[in-house]
Amino acid sequence: MKTQNRRDFLAKAAAALAVAGSPLPGTALSLNRPPALQDEQFPTKRSFADEIKKYRKIDAHAHVYFTKGNFEQVIDIADRLNIEKLVISRPMVPGGKGEPSEFIECNNLVLRAMKQFPDRFLGQLTLNPQYPKESMAEIERCIGEGMIGTKLYNHVKINDPLFYPVIEKFIDLKMLILMHMGIGISRIQYDAREPKGVSIPENMVEAARRYPEAKFQLAHIGGGIDWEAACKAVIGVPNIFVDVSGSNNAANMIDFAVKCVGVDRLFFGCDSSYYQGVGHVLAADLTDADRNKLFFGNYNKYLKSIGRNVD
Amino acid sequence: MLIDVNSYIGHWPFRRLKGNTCKEQIARMNTAGIDKAVLFNLNGIFYKNVQSANDELFEALKENSEYRKRFIPFATINPIYSGWKHDFEESVKKQGAKGIRLYPLYHGYELSNPACIELAKMAKDHNLPIAIALRMVDSRPSSWLDISKEWALKDTLPLIKAVPDAKYLILNLANNSNFGAFNKEELSLVRQTKLLMDTSGRMVMELSDMMKNYGSDKFAFGSHYPILDPVTGLLRIEAMRPEEATKEEREKLYYGNAKNFLGL
Repeated sequence: MKTQNRRDFLAKAAAALAVAGSPLPGTALSLNRPPALQDEQFPTKRSFADEIKKYRKIDAHAHVYFTKGNFEQVIDIADRLNIEKLVISRPMVPGGKGEPSEFIECNNLVLRAMKQFPDRFLGQLTLNPQYPKESMAEIERCIGEGMIGTKLYNHVKINDPLFYPVIEKFIDLKMLILMHMGIGISRIQYDAREPKGVSIPENMVEAARRYPEAKFQLAHIGGGIDWEAACKAVIGVPNIFVDVSGSNNAANMIDFAVKCVGVDRLFFGCDSSYYQGVGHVLAADLTDADRNKLFFGNYNKYLKSIGRNVD
Repeated sequence: MLIDVNSYIGHWPFRRLKGNTCKEQIARMNTAGIDKAVLFNLNGIFYKNVQSANDELFEALKENSEYRKRFIPFATINPIYSGWKHDFEESVKKQGAKGIRLYPLYHGYELSNPACIELAKMAKDHNLPIAIALRMVDSRPSSWLDISKEWALKDTLPLIKAVPDAKYLILNLANNSNFGAFNKEELSLVRQTKLLMDTSGRMVMELSDMMKNYGSDKFAFGSHYPILDPVTGLLRIEAMRPEEATKEEREKLYYGNAKNFLGL
């Protein structure tokens, strides 16, 4: 989407300065240098518009909302950033009871989105293991409707025995279990905003070690959690994948995640923070092949394992 | 042409930064094609005597003529600490600072503090921009030793109201920056003020709408690097569709607004 030709601009800028009749004040800040010299010193502006197009992308952590026109809005921004597929869910309202009517309504929204944009949205169901019968029925219903995994929220910790039947069901399905991570103990003690049932990385590690055949996705290391602590917690736990979504695009987050868990266990995602999601992957110190894995290949490999790959 | 209005050298005590030296910043700028960058020294947040951080910044710039050509240094001033007027004189008149940086949340004062207002008037009299960030880092995952308070855009109003003819560089729009948060009079004041906001913050989601509501001269590319990644602030501009920003408006975001605001 770059519209400016650098050489043209420099020529115009030089001409404008000549018309103004004087160099800009202060030699240290002067822009009044010959264009050729400027080109030697300053390389052409990197075109992220080209890089956006260069990489295929699957957003492994996306959401739809109940607001009117939201599906179209999500698709619109995905189009801007060349995000081909979005793995969507609709978590229940924070602070709610998480009753079956709530998670069924959320899952129905996701199903509607999948039907409206079948080539773009892949759905994940949500549930609450405090309602085991209804939750197991919802798994059957939603997977039967074409969903490809589950997104769990903060009613019950992922290592709680209430989750065991759910985890065992997803082992049978060979599907991913994406668990929300709270701010947790970033500042040593539990964040006051979080409910007691919120999971932290250590809870997921415990569940992953109990069920080594299950596949877990640790949510949004850019989502306000202590991302350094999260990445360190999952070192050496091969059945935990880490998604790099979230609004916090702290520099070097992805480089640190690669160092801890390796690029093969990372998923690109936005969690509705699309610019940060794409931006910090483009900024990461990765080879082209590894950036492709992160943006697309790693999640597509999962999709292939359940017969739903993009290609 | 590309100008980054928000970049740093120095240390962050709670996390290792990379790219936080002049040499590394120049390398990053060369990779991205950034001609010039406004440069702050992070150590000015943490040194009680902020002039030491200003001395560090200008000593670093002395090391290489390229640094002096390409960086636009801002001095940190703490108006509630001893000798701040001396620091102003030293950093602006002797060292050549091109603007003033304030850290009210870290230094522990309100923007309505009389000394802060006096400083803003001094900056105005010298035609120097005053830079303030709504936050430095995402407070949620930061250290237990870090502050937890962050600002919304509206929280900058006490100073803008007190000294409306000064120039303000508002950085990292991380919290509510919606024009709807202002009443009619406040919005009018913001629009009329010489105010420039950078594109690094997470609330810059619909840049074209923000430009419509605040004015297309109110925004400029900023990265907040090396605290935030160096790409996202630019991606927000690059991802705008042709119907959302004309070529001229884009050029204003890349460099034009910054150039005018900073008086380059």
